[in-house]
Amino acid sequence: MTHLNMEQLVALRDAGSEPGTAAAREHIGECPLCAGELDRLHQRAARLRALPTLRPARDLWPAVDARRRQERRRRGVRWAGGAGLALAASIAAIAAVGPRSVPVESVPEPVAGEIAEARERSQALETVLDAYNPEARVIDGHTARVAQVLEDRIAALDQELQVTELERSRNAREEELLQLWRERVGLLDALVDVHVTRASRVGL
Amino acid sequence: MTRALFMDPTFAANADAVLARARMGDSAALEALFRAFEGPVYNLSRRICRTTEDAEDVVQETFFEVCRSIRHFRGEGSIWGWIRTIAASKALMRLRRNKYRETDELEDEFVPMRREDTALRMDLEAALERLGETSRAVVWLHDVEGYTHEEIAAMMGRTVSFSKSQLARAHARLRRWLGEEVTA
Repeated sequence: MTHLNMEQLVALRDAGSEPGTAAAREHIGECPLCAGELDRLHQRAARLRALPTLRPARDLWPAVDARRRQERRRRGVRWAGGAGLALAASIAAIAAVGPRSVPVESVPEPVAGEIAEARERSQALETVLDAYNPEARVIDGHTARVAQVLEDRIAALDQELQVTELERSRNAREEELLQLWRERVGLLDALVDVHVTRASRVGL
Repeated sequence: MTRALFMDPTFAANADAVLARARMGDSAALEALFRAFEGPVYNLSRRICRTTEDAEDVVQETFFEVCRSIRHFRGEGSIWGWIRTIAASKALMRLRRNKYRETDELEDEFVPMRREDTALRMDLEAALERLGETSRAVVWLHDVEGYTHEEIAAMMGRTVSFSKSQLARAHARLRRWLGEEVTA
């Protein structure tokens, strides 16, 4: 048998059961040259694994975090828009079918109106923030920390809002929903203050 | 055999709690995840990509994807295995996007001779760097990260035999450049 080529040596190392592997193994047992090549192949791979770990020269987290926050806020806007449409649709449906068909746990109109108002205010503030584009601006460490706390609270509130919206159909939780929307508007107001007016005290 | 990952001991001790909080979108937990794995992700990216800028972009794209998808991670494999697959896919995507030279033959013809060539012996770092993009990616993913040819083929959108032949070619070149050729 002629000497093994690199493809055969690599296949041998992978311990596969491809055709020709048994013959190649037999050859390795008899040929010191090919046995040496296989040994060097193992050693080369071990040296590759032992190469030093390269590390980034700068901190990449701020860029990842900024992009993540930007996307989260955009998602919040899209989601708030969808919830608002659902709310408007449910109010319209109630108005169309008349009072006899309205279920017991339907939306009381004054509360529904206030929810819609809070939602609109929330969207308006999101638009202000998006136009300001805080991710593209340099801010001091204190402002960044305050903004981060506010954004985290908004994110937690958004999760609560989603759950409450989903449960609306089963339970009369309109007052709770209104409270959540009002809280969201308050937090967004504070975030706009932090970014746009650079207010250092936002009553956290 | 794959390169051992020496995980940040603080993260390792609190991994479950950190992952649970990261799934909820907790910023501090996501940053802890980033700090625990940024080194190995950068290393993998830098070994596959040609420039530090590309490697940094891959790290950012990887962790952005991790932050976005962490709630879908069910813990069926290791968290490092999951992050590493995202990083490898992003790095390979970056290679395709940059339309690097595809064949090693071209590399051999057009890469200018370096000091190491004249001595007919390079160190391993230099030899690895000199390999074509595809060969280097295959040799790194297979020999260091421990992916199988089937997995590499799937990630690259190529065949298993393509992966095997790229690995063999890479080793043939490394052997030559490292001065390890033995004549019969």
